[in-house]
Amino acid sequence: MNYDMAMIDALTYRAKRRESRREFFKTAGSAAVAAGSVSLLAACGGDGDNNNSGGGGSPPPPTGTTPPPPPPASATIGDPEILNFALNLEYLEAEFYSFAVFGRGLDASLRTGIGTPGTVTPGRQVNFTDPVVAQYALEIAQDEIAHVRFLRAQLGAATVAEPSIDVGSSANGAFSAAARAAGLVGAGAAFDPYANDENFLLGAFLFEDVGVTAYKGASPLITSKVFLEAAAGILAAEAYHAGLIRTILFRKGLDTPSLRSATVAISNARDSLDGASDIDQGIVGTADASNIVPTDANALAFSRNGGQVLNIVYLTPTASRTGGFFPNGVNGAINTSQAN
Amino acid sequence: MTEDTLTIDVLDSRARRREDRRDLFRMMGGKALMAGTATVAATTSAFAQTAAPTDADILNFALNLEYLEAQFYSFASFGTGLNNNLLTGTGTQGAVTGGRQVPFQDTVVRQYAREIAQDEIAHVQFLRGALGAAAVSQPAIDIGSDPNGAFSSAARAAGLIGAGQSFDPYANDNNFLLGAFIFEDVGVTAYKGAAPLITSKVFLEAAAGILAVEAYHAALVRTVLYGRGVQTPSLRTSADAISDARDSLDGSSDLDQGISPIPASGAQSPVASNIVPVDQNGLTFSRTGGQVLNIVYLNRMAVTRGGFFPNGVNGNIRTSAAN
Repeated sequence: MNYDMAMIDALTYRAKRRESRREFFKTAGSAAVAAGSVSLLAACGGDGDNNNSGGGGSPPPPTGTTPPPPPPASATIGDPEILNFALNLEYLEAEFYSFAVFGRGLDASLRTGIGTPGTVTPGRQVNFTDPVVAQYALEIAQDEIAHVRFLRAQLGAATVAEPSIDVGSSANGAFSAAARAAGLVGAGAAFDPYANDENFLLGAFLFEDVGVTAYKGASPLITSKVFLEAAAGILAAEAYHAGLIRTILFRKGLDTPSLRSATVAISNARDSLDGASDIDQGIVGTADASNIVPTDANALAFSRNGGQVLNIVYLTPTASRTGGFFPNGVNGAINTSQAN
Repeated sequence: MTEDTLTIDVLDSRARRREDRRDLFRMMGGKALMAGTATVAATTSAFAQTAAPTDADILNFALNLEYLEAQFYSFASFGTGLNNNLLTGTGTQGAVTGGRQVPFQDTVVRQYAREIAQDEIAHVQFLRGALGAAAVSQPAIDIGSDPNGAFSSAARAAGLIGAGQSFDPYANDNNFLLGAFIFEDVGVTAYKGAAPLITSKVFLEAAAGILAVEAYHAALVRTVLYGRGVQTPSLRTSADAISDARDSLDGSSDLDQGISPIPASGAQSPVASNIVPVDQNGLTFSRTGGQVLNIVYLNRMAVTRGGFFPNGVNGNIRTSAAN
């Protein structure tokens, strides 16, 4: 993506934000608390506003899988199923950051559980140039490993095993496929998130906002107040991580504009995977304002359902059980991406 | 704060995090789902000490905080406060003291400020829209830089300025960032603490959306302070001191963390940043409504006014916790 396209994106986003705000004013007008629920519903359900052209028009990525489409997520979704779904995502994040920071993956003792245990297509230690970026990476790695431990402890015997995870950098791997879908690398080329600070930050960018939308989308489904508050705590931690990564990319984008436009391209690729609704934003804002925080017209973060989250980590817009970062699928009852 | 106190503080926080992590490993033994519940319950502080508030009470409480944040960022970014039509409602409407446009030197910081201002104004609009006729009006708010004002009192409590001196969050980029730092993490803990009390699933998801946005904001501000702290170490120590001051207001539990690096091993970097204030489980903290009011009233006792809200907040959740 060249700089002109980034400018066009910026203008598109600005228009979109304005339009969203106008719609909000229309909705917000005469709501009472009783009626308020309704307008909230309208506003939240409108999450996926109508602005579905992501601006950059990235082509839908290759699916790479032939799904024997099983039935969508079953009816028996309780708190353990939701926590296990979250655990799969935390395994993925923890493996990525752990390799980037420590040069090795999670301890075997943190990978056991029910379901099909998998293998990790490994990453490797990043040779960070900027010590501050190395410090950020270490902090996030610690947090993600803590999330894995925490969720495993909460789930106890119900914990799912870590499934197969691809955090490698081969041209056929998930990172390269994602980067290709975003137009960051060409056909047959590899994207290596461990090559340098910038690539690491873009690799991290790929995940962080998704975690936020996943936890937010799950929040009204959690029945236990205790788990709910805990999930809110992880949600917030993921949002801090995402805010950190986006802030650094925005700052480094002053000297390296391609970093900013790359986030728009990745965001558009995510958006093209998870359905028609526009629930993703890069960091390019307007001439006057940054866009560190991806929000709707009401300045609320977006939600994704489990199927939409799986669209992204499976790298497929269709209903599938496997793909992308989870070559054999996630473990647990919530395991099928949405048909978009 | 002197360099020596700083060192002690860093050591303290290091010890604290290590201790937390040791606790974690101890706890990790053989947890089942049910036993696990008890663990979380023990580590989360509940809003629920007060009589169960309604969703409207909670949203109105949040609205007071959003008024405060929106006025601060709006003045800092645009030189003006909220439109009058965003201030009306039930309870006693009050005026804003102080606030003015920051002469930003760094374009990027100005862009951040504007983005946050837009978000906070949208939060005010959103909550008012959701509450409709039940929305509380904006109470009196002090965001001035007078030596007797709330910002100066907060900065004095943190040891950033001496007796009789003023702290002006509009003076320059760095002061603005420290002013923002005073609020942002508090909003995160407030929304998290309120989450389990919200009965409507619709409001809950909306509140989770605001929680996330406040966390993005907090991370932005902390990341910029941390990055600038490479050249200007006092920015990191000032943030640490503000965090300590917040912690001293809201009771004996440790619910707050500064940003200074924490030693770690096994990685290329000998230290980790501390952008994300989390407990040993990697979860952010919760504050009750009373604890949040301790901070914005700048008072550790049970009171109904003070600090940034000279006449108190509007609505049913209005009394700070007695610590």
